[in-house]
Amino acid sequence: MNVLVLLAIILFILMAWIGGMKGVRSFIALFINFIIVLMAVFVMNDPSGNPMIIALIACGFISAVSLFFINRVNNKTMLAFLATIATMVILISFIIILTEQSMIYGLGEEESGEITTFNVHIGLNFVQIATAVIIMSTIGAIVDTAISITSPMREIHEQNPELSRKDLFLAGIRIGRDILGTSTNTLFFAFFGGYMGLLIWFKDLEYSIGDIINAKVFNDEMLTILISGVGIALVIPIASLMSAYYLKKEKKDIIVDDKE
Amino acid sequence: MKTWLKKRTKAQIITVCLLLTGFIASMIFINNNYELYDRTIVHITDIQEISRETQTDTHGNEDERVIQQIEGEIKNGPDRGEITTFHNEYTQSLAIDYELSAGDEIFLAQDGEATGDIKRDKYFVFVAWIFLMILLAVGKSRGALSALSLLVNAVILSFALDIYIQNPSISLSLITLISIIIFTILSLLMATGFNEKTYTAILTTLLGTGLSLVIAYAALQFTGEQGLRYEEMAFLTRNPQTIFMAGLLIGSLGAVMDVAITLSASMFEMYEKNNHISLATLKKAGYEIGKDIMGTMTNILFFAYVSGSIPMLLIYFKNAAPFGFTVSMNLSLELTRALVGGIGIVLTIPIAIYLSIFFIRRKQARL
Repeated sequence: MNVLVLLAIILFILMAWIGGMKGVRSFIALFINFIIVLMAVFVMNDPSGNPMIIALIACGFISAVSLFFINRVNNKTMLAFLATIATMVILISFIIILTEQSMIYGLGEEESGEITTFNVHIGLNFVQIATAVIIMSTIGAIVDTAISITSPMREIHEQNPELSRKDLFLAGIRIGRDILGTSTNTLFFAFFGGYMGLLIWFKDLEYSIGDIINAKVFNDEMLTILISGVGIALVIPIASLMSAYYLKKEKKDIIVDDKE
Repeated sequence: MKTWLKKRTKAQIITVCLLLTGFIASMIFINNNYELYDRTIVHITDIQEISRETQTDTHGNEDERVIQQIEGEIKNGPDRGEITTFHNEYTQSLAIDYELSAGDEIFLAQDGEATGDIKRDKYFVFVAWIFLMILLAVGKSRGALSALSLLVNAVILSFALDIYIQNPSISLSLITLISIIIFTILSLLMATGFNEKTYTAILTTLLGTGLSLVIAYAALQFTGEQGLRYEEMAFLTRNPQTIFMAGLLIGSLGAVMDVAITLSASMFEMYEKNNHISLATLKKAGYEIGKDIMGTMTNILFFAYVSGSIPMLLIYFKNAAPFGFTVSMNLSLELTRALVGGIGIVLTIPIAIYLSIFFIRRKQARL
């Protein structure tokens, strides 16, 4: 039997056992997200398309699946969704300038060696593809942080309806501070685990610090990690602000309704 | 602005000043560190496009080949200050080459006639500062601690790999095991301090990682690693299996720690709010939280791993490689990482719940 099939079955059984129906939905969401990534890659195959826009649309779908499919549509998932999209849009301009300036697009010397039989001049825009990769690597963490803020914020608002908008916002930021460290940690270890080979390669081939710090693969990885961190940190005030604004506005509307 | 400034404490103002000074000083340094490099650095001053022609490969992919005439000033070494000219060739898709423009700084290739690499150190330092500042702005002292913990972990990892490379007799598995224990203890202590929820989380993380390692190992053995394509693992200088297993463990460690601390922190908080809370209620609440975080946590790992393969997938598809072949060559290792990480995340949930209950029960008994 194929390793991947076996591991997927184990994961499915565990998720269903521990998470019940919600676990099953989480597993299906994972599968749908995989299909979305593959579809996005297919669409990117067309040279006339813009990979960055495709990635943004794919991210929209991915966050919709992760939020609405697993947790159903309600105001906390809706707020998390909007906060995610807003963060993505802000982040993307920063990413594209950085990718272009630091020229981390395309394949590094270390990577291109393995595909000598293939033609790499395929008419696609690798600057935009690199940007697309960075946003898509981050989307999971940003969605996670967004929902971790909007959901307790609603609870805080319900328990203390008298809390002012500013205090509600600050409560969101405090929750954010608690998860900031662990979320950046999660991504950090994920990337380092994936690039153990690269690290050993640098050490085996005795790259100097100057070589490493200027190498394309190293910068590609490090910039992805750092930008993900920036994304996680950015979504905290954005989600808190949006929730505080929305929850308090909703409250006002109700009062107005009562008067009528 | 003035009232805002007045509200800041002295410590905050000093921190901001120190950070700004550090930022400016390091940016000036990194933009003028030419003499530290042996390779010749050229600051490009003028670009002229010499030729541009369309090329089509056997699969019908169209691309444009461009040759640029580059003029630039040499910034270091014996020829410092001299003007050099060379040709830079690139294709419009920019898969393995660079489109240069005036103002760029590059390393000259050995022969001095082509572009070797780009001077990227300044961007790395710049983004690292942006990261640090945003982390501090949002997280204050907690943000500083997370940044510090990332740095410490990076140093430990680098140090551990040095030991591995210098002592071939010590196996990578052993080194990874010890590093994982150090990572877990340090990161969690830095995140939540010395208290019972941290100890619970540390124990949970180690148990969860260990158990998912056993499952992953058993699954790999049982299937004879069928479906894993190590040949596409980039950057190999050593035995791919051990490096892959070590990466597998370290890769899921962050996520497992995240789940462990989230669960133990909220369960201990519930206990502190109500010292006589029943264990059944605690358990139920723990499972509710676990269900909530399970989906998004597995997603984080999935995207962090799979997205990186997109450029390679595109190159394979554009070279008319069959779908199944492309996916198994490029995604088998990434998907395995994501799946094993997912198994670790889900397994950690009950471990965290039962360990927290175990410690809380002991505390309740003492009451």
